[in-house]
Amino acid sequence: MRRGWLALGVVLLAGPLAFQDPFYERMIALVLLWAVLASAWNIVGGYAGQVAIGHAVFFGVGAYLPLLVYTHWQGVPLLGIPVGIAISVGIAVLIGVPTFRLHGHYLSMATIAVAELIRLLVTNWEFVGAARGLGGPTSGRTIWDLSYRSSIPYYYIFLALFALVLGFTYWMEQSRMGYYLRAIKAGQRAARSLGVSAPRYKLYAMIASAAFTSLAGSLYAVMLGFVDPDSVFGIMVSVQMVIMAALGGAGTLIGPLVGAALLIPLQTFANSLFGGQGNGLTFILYGGIIILLSRFEPGGILEIWNHYLARKARKGRTE
Amino acid sequence: MIALQVVVGGLLLGAVYALFSSGLTLIWGMMNVVNFAHGDFVMLGMYIAYLAVVALHAGPLVFTLLAALTLSIVGAAVYYLLIRQVMRGPMLAQILSTFGLALLVRYTVFWFFSATFVTLPGSALGGSIKLGGILIGIPQLVAGILAMGLTIGMHLLLTRTTLGSQILAVSEDRQAAMLMGIRPDRMQALAWGLASASAGVAGALIATFYYLTPTVGESLVLIAFVVVCFGGFGSVPGAMLAGLIIGLIQAASAYYIGPVYKDVVVFALFVAILWVRPQGLLGTV
Amino acid sequence: MRNVLVCGIVLALLGVSAAAQAGAPTIVKIGVIEPLSGNAAAAGQATKAAIEVAADIINQGYPEIARIPLGNTHGLPNLGGAKVQVIFADHQGNPSVGQSETLRLITQEKVVALQGAYHSSVTVPATAVAERYGIPWMVGDSSSLVINARGFKWIFRSTPIGSNYAEAYLGFLTDLSKSSTKVKTFAIVNENTEYGTSVGGEIRDVLVKGGFSLAVQVPYNANSTDLSAEVLQLKQKDPDVAIFVSYTSDALLFTKTFKALDYSPRMVIGDDTGFSDPSYIQNVGDIAQGVVNRTAWDIGKPGSATYRINELYKAKTGVNLDDTSGRNMQGFFALMEAINRAGSTQPEAIRKALAETNLSPNQLMMGYRGIRYDATGMNSLASTYVNQLVGKEYVTIWPESAAHGSLTWPFKGWR
Repeated sequence: MRRGWLALGVVLLAGPLAFQDPFYERMIALVLLWAVLASAWNIVGGYAGQVAIGHAVFFGVGAYLPLLVYTHWQGVPLLGIPVGIAISVGIAVLIGVPTFRLHGHYLSMATIAVAELIRLLVTNWEFVGAARGLGGPTSGRTIWDLSYRSSIPYYYIFLALFALVLGFTYWMEQSRMGYYLRAIKAGQRAARSLGVSAPRYKLYAMIASAAFTSLAGSLYAVMLGFVDPDSVFGIMVSVQMVIMAALGGAGTLIGPLVGAALLIPLQTFANSLFGGQGNGLTFILYGGIIILLSRFEPGGILEIWNHYLARKARKGRTE
Repeated sequence: MIALQVVVGGLLLGAVYALFSSGLTLIWGMMNVVNFAHGDFVMLGMYIAYLAVVALHAGPLVFTLLAALTLSIVGAAVYYLLIRQVMRGPMLAQILSTFGLALLVRYTVFWFFSATFVTLPGSALGGSIKLGGILIGIPQLVAGILAMGLTIGMHLLLTRTTLGSQILAVSEDRQAAMLMGIRPDRMQALAWGLASASAGVAGALIATFYYLTPTVGESLVLIAFVVVCFGGFGSVPGAMLAGLIIGLIQAASAYYIGPVYKDVVVFALFVAILWVRPQGLLGTV
Repeated sequence: MRNVLVCGIVLALLGVSAAAQAGAPTIVKIGVIEPLSGNAAAAGQATKAAIEVAADIINQGYPEIARIPLGNTHGLPNLGGAKVQVIFADHQGNPSVGQSETLRLITQEKVVALQGAYHSSVTVPATAVAERYGIPWMVGDSSSLVINARGFKWIFRSTPIGSNYAEAYLGFLTDLSKSSTKVKTFAIVNENTEYGTSVGGEIRDVLVKGGFSLAVQVPYNANSTDLSAEVLQLKQKDPDVAIFVSYTSDALLFTKTFKALDYSPRMVIGDDTGFSDPSYIQNVGDIAQGVVNRTAWDIGKPGSATYRINELYKAKTGVNLDDTSGRNMQGFFALMEAINRAGSTQPEAIRKALAETNLSPNQLMMGYRGIRYDATGMNSLASTYVNQLVGKEYVTIWPESAAHGSLTWPFKGWR
């Protein structure tokens, strides 16, 4: 088991060396970014079982702040990160407290609605660039602008962030909070009978989830150098986070990474190969895969892998 | 005078919202399944109407019936092939399955029709009439009245017929219903067929005064969610009332506050309702 | 002796093959990034068709199109008759995908130049990538001012933008006021994303400075299900002229709503895009008679270069060329003209040639006053006509020098 983690670590660290091509380097940097986002969602969606589909709010807030700092005060974009996290956490508390009284679909609906609401407000607010969006520094003024031509530095930044989220998730999994969250996920009434304050722990999970999502959003904005309401507050951002975590295996430690590692290349190559024809094949494939997955193996790829291992073990025993 | 115009316009549109939302609320209340593809079912209804007019020169009655029929088959098929299995799984899988379905349906239509906007070739339902000083588009009027009628019809079907009570029995208590000799599977498939048919009819009606494009389902489904939550899960009369109110609020806020804010007001209201009275107007917790 | 003969034959053969290689035309690859899926796919696909026609014209050559550079040269003469090959990519309306595809086109497909991308939200970040890699980029359609305001050297824009359109409307309405038709008040109805907000704002500012008074500005959400409120607001303020900055879906819905509410302003000006889309004329043309539009494209008389170009486009797509796709086609021609003039596929050579571009109006297919780029890469001679829908075609009505017909006032619509 330890060796597995070591091997993974080596692969991830050496990743960019395998590709000497800017396009692939950018792609794996994006894989890690989405692994971070899916892992962040996983904290509240996978472990606590709260299917929130509005995380774009935190991503968007995190993405806008650095570029706001740059646009209005010519400041270093990184300074926007703590502010973004603070605002995201604030929103998490504001939505969390009332909505965690709701169950199941109500929560999903509420989170979708709040995210859409904020997207509409941002689209009409001149201070944050309204529908035009905001741009970042076109070339690095100082080293702190983190403006690189190559994607490799961003890859390592996202890798560091991923290690952070993973570490937090692991710690949470093993701690009392993880135990409570599993109880909540299994059934809120049962959890309450254990003396667990469900709303409180759900809120903690949401806060952690929001903070990491916001941080990832900020770094994404620094890499791209541009944000607009649709690209960072849009519903597809929220949905993709959920899909990647679910595809890999929600509620598992590396499920989100597996999901991202499969979906991002799939999307990228499908678009590069078929997109030029413009017939929407990319989305047909995407939709089909999601349906097949949810129909036949909702536990995600990791579940399929576990079945396979179990079958091998059984065969091994009979011989 | 303009105020009355705004009110009537809002109510007529709201009636259409009520029609396609009543299908969604039935499924939601009955099986606790969120159908993210519902807006795309409406879109399918629109395109079936279009094909019927272009290929068969069908009149409004024919293409509406065709849309209802086709969509009911689609709905039942989706139930048997996908929903039935997914329902037993985790909530996450349920949400993902219908979301994937939405993408699949939307972009398959896109494949065939690409992104060019089409409208229903000049039908007998063009023009408008003047009633008491305000102008009402005939397509909107017909759509609104028909939608209202069908929604009431669905409610009556559910509450006054044996079939309807069987469907409701399954949604209330599946085990008890089975003990009574009702086959839950069949009832649920029927419910899906009924809900999808209502979506199809709504689509056919909307097509008479709106434009068709494969991605129109995206925005419609969000409105449907708001109406359903507002009206109360599982309550068709609730969806009816909520649809009318939402249509009215949209029209009023668009005119009096500003067109860009009409969606903001609806969503803000929705969020407020969820916090203050999550069971909606006529739903049960 | 035999050895000498053998060596001689081998050398001769080598020499011939080398000569054949040197004379063999190469391929010049251009990357084009447009929205080929998503909400703007119709526009993206029309542009794709237009550029494919342009590439075909350059490679095949057509005598009627000879006045346009590369219109009848069967390839790029200064590059040994090399043919152009266009590689299309879909950005799906997503800035990140736009950047990734730009990177792929540059580093994997090794294109020598790029064009795109319709959505300003994609053009802005994608051109930043091209600038970093030092690959020339031609903007044939996007309107945001930011694109050329960043001090970039590699980005060139041939198309007119918001300020050009505003000037055209100002000129048109001012000339109109000098005649018997009195135009005092105007309204702007704009969709509230990048395109509508910036173009709408520029038109408003220019007209107000020009002495017209703003009755009301109605921003609205694109792709709305219902536009009655917006039209009712217009009805209340009753402007002489209403200027719409809308995409196709809303243009269609507005026109239908006018009829349904039996109201229309005395002049309806549709700012290109939605109103130029062929599906607009197809679907609501008969109830939108007299709508005024702007365009830099005029089909012209049979036998002319523009007529032939339209024929080729129509044969491919079944509809007439629209202004937006035409502007992209013009951008493509201008790009290839520069590459040919450079006589090289080296990025710096192409960039220099682009910067030195000086095309006169009769070398263009669009009605600009010419193509000459200023220090920021914008076409200082970009301009546009004003036209009006008569029957199923738009007829140019302003400026007088280009007009084929005169204004019908007021807006007839369905009446």
